[in-house]
Amino acid sequence: MKNIKTILTLSAMSLALGACSTGLDKSRNLGNPNVTGNTLAQQVCSVCHGGIGNDVNGNSVNPRYPKLAGQQKEYLVAEMNEFHNHTRKDPMAQAMMWGIARNFTPKQIDELANFYSNQKPIPDSGQKAALVAEGDKIFHEGVLDKGVPACMGCHGANAEGNGPIPRLASQHADYIYKQLSVFNTDEVYTEGKENVPDSDLERPQGAVMEGIAHGLTEQQRRAMGAYLSSLH
Amino acid sequence: MKVSNLLGKAKGSALLLLGTASVVVSMDANAIPVFARQTGFKCVACHVGGMYPQLTSLGRMFKLTGYTMGNRPNLTDLEVQNDYPPVAVMVQGARQYYNNTSTQGLPGHGQGVPSSSMNVQVVSFFAGGKITDNVGAFMQWTGQKYDNTQTGSQAGWNAAAIDNTEFRYADRTVTPTTDTVVGAYVNNRATMSDVWNNMGPWQSGWINYFNSGNAQAPTTFLMGETTQHTAVGAGAYIFQNKTWYGELAVYKSPTHGPLSALTAGAPPSNAAAGSNGTVIDPTPYLRLAYNKEWGPHNFEFGLHGMMAYAHGSGLLGSTGPSDYSQPVSTYRDVGFDSQYQYVLDPHYFSAHARITREYMNNAGPGVFANYSNLTPVNATDNLTETYVDAIYVYQAKYGAQLSYQNVTGSNDVGLYSMAVNGAGGLTGNPNWSAWTPHVFYAPWQNVRIGYMYTFYTQMGGVTSGNNNLVFNGTKFSPANFNTSMLYIGFVY
Repeated sequence: MKNIKTILTLSAMSLALGACSTGLDKSRNLGNPNVTGNTLAQQVCSVCHGGIGNDVNGNSVNPRYPKLAGQQKEYLVAEMNEFHNHTRKDPMAQAMMWGIARNFTPKQIDELANFYSNQKPIPDSGQKAALVAEGDKIFHEGVLDKGVPACMGCHGANAEGNGPIPRLASQHADYIYKQLSVFNTDEVYTEGKENVPDSDLERPQGAVMEGIAHGLTEQQRRAMGAYLSSLH
Repeated sequence: MKVSNLLGKAKGSALLLLGTASVVVSMDANAIPVFARQTGFKCVACHVGGMYPQLTSLGRMFKLTGYTMGNRPNLTDLEVQNDYPPVAVMVQGARQYYNNTSTQGLPGHGQGVPSSSMNVQVVSFFAGGKITDNVGAFMQWTGQKYDNTQTGSQAGWNAAAIDNTEFRYADRTVTPTTDTVVGAYVNNRATMSDVWNNMGPWQSGWINYFNSGNAQAPTTFLMGETTQHTAVGAGAYIFQNKTWYGELAVYKSPTHGPLSALTAGAPPSNAAAGSNGTVIDPTPYLRLAYNKEWGPHNFEFGLHGMMAYAHGSGLLGSTGPSDYSQPVSTYRDVGFDSQYQYVLDPHYFSAHARITREYMNNAGPGVFANYSNLTPVNATDNLTETYVDAIYVYQAKYGAQLSYQNVTGSNDVGLYSMAVNGAGGLTGNPNWSAWTPHVFYAPWQNVRIGYMYTFYTQMGGVTSGNNNLVFNGTKFSPANFNTSMLYIGFVY
């Protein structure tokens, strides 16, 4: 029967091609623990999180993907573990990073975090001056009547972050805005409820940010993005 | 996407996939098709607004790196792997409306295919993905209830056959200053390698719409279904710094040997009389493109071209398909294509424009012949095809699309058979144009419900006035070709 021959031929072609495997140094295999973090950064992560030349590693082009360059290593490790464990559940994390990180080993996570924390971050340009000024003020002074403390208190005078507290400087404005919105969503969900399980929240590890984000208006969240994305 | 007129066995489709996959285990309730299982991505990662087949920059790179990103299916037990089989299924149910009583069942226009009730009309099986760190595959097998290109009869489910199928090898080298992807492929359709959704099976939408392939609305050889899955091509490409792209391939109809598996079930190997299966001699295909990403934007501008050598069908009253013993006509297709995208949740926008110019050199001397069982009266003809579309998707759930097609060309009464009322017989004018608005809703990422309507504003060169077209003594207007479709698509 012709179809049987077809099946056998295509199967044989698949298996023959399968014999042509090459080394691990250029692998895009997310299920092989022997592929190093540096290789994954080059072969896989760089597709979205920034490649070469002017977009040096870790400086993504599309704000859909956060910049990783210069990020705190401890924070990067924590987030990759959250993607791996599905405890960070904002929509884009589910759409992309759950899959990417599902077979990450602790060694790969450590290598990736090491790689990206050592890249040079590049700020964005072209922000509206008025928004930058508004974000600058909130960053340094907070919005005290809304219960929003000065961001610099935790994130550092230059928004450089500290260990598990992420670097925000140079981050894409849209990414900052969307994450503040995620924290706000969690705050709105938990308001008036007791003992909300972490599994109900999109970013339970960001609990400290929930009330803060909720205290910001939509424009103020945009302003934070504009200001932070302009910082070196 | 367009699904060709193919012959084969429906049973074989399932067997093919099982044979290739080698192992089948129970599917995860959240799992979706092949590449999503391999990468763990949701549709929206690689497709614009989740509207497959439109590719985002991530989707383009996934394809250009040979479908190898992600986990290899657990075929060998050699590595830590995912648990999903590399197979998927797509089902499309639809209700289609034709005005084919008005057009006297003109060949190629839903003849024998009445306005349908809501029923299952297309089933596709997929297999493929990562095979090694450098090699991957995309395999599709399709059956459909009706077929627009089948003269006088419905295709029926027993006409299932191989669909878009491709094997790729890719190597990517990233240095501090360069990013180079080089690759090679073997596939069964020119333009299948396209990553900017400008051409062939990836243009416009994923929907199988009978109206595509209307014989009274001619298209270029490159974009038509003439060599779809009946020829096998081998190509090589380079993508440098996510900016410059170059590709060269050669297609040929295989008559025997292992590569003929890529045309399994497709004509002309078992073509019925009047089918459009076409045999071609070695035919080069070229693509050059410039790609630029900035912020959420992506822009592409490119050149495409194909020099096709197609054997004619049986001459002088014969009704046979394209045949190696017949003379060779040449089809030189060259054109520009461009894409713009905006991808930043919750807004997704994509627009395309393409112009392809075709120069036909009809085989002679004496009686001219071409591949589709027609006898041109001119030694040379030309067609210019324009395609433009724009798509907006919100929250990866709600979408709207508008596309426009226009073809103009030289008159040839041997190729284009409608007469214009009062013109004293056939004019052989190929000119046509149509608009297709389309709205859809995706309640879940693997279910899409939509409605599309194609308005013909010109057919046979007739642009205005009613009943200026004549066929079989009946008069009608371009609007009589209008078609519409309500559909629900499901992939798993």
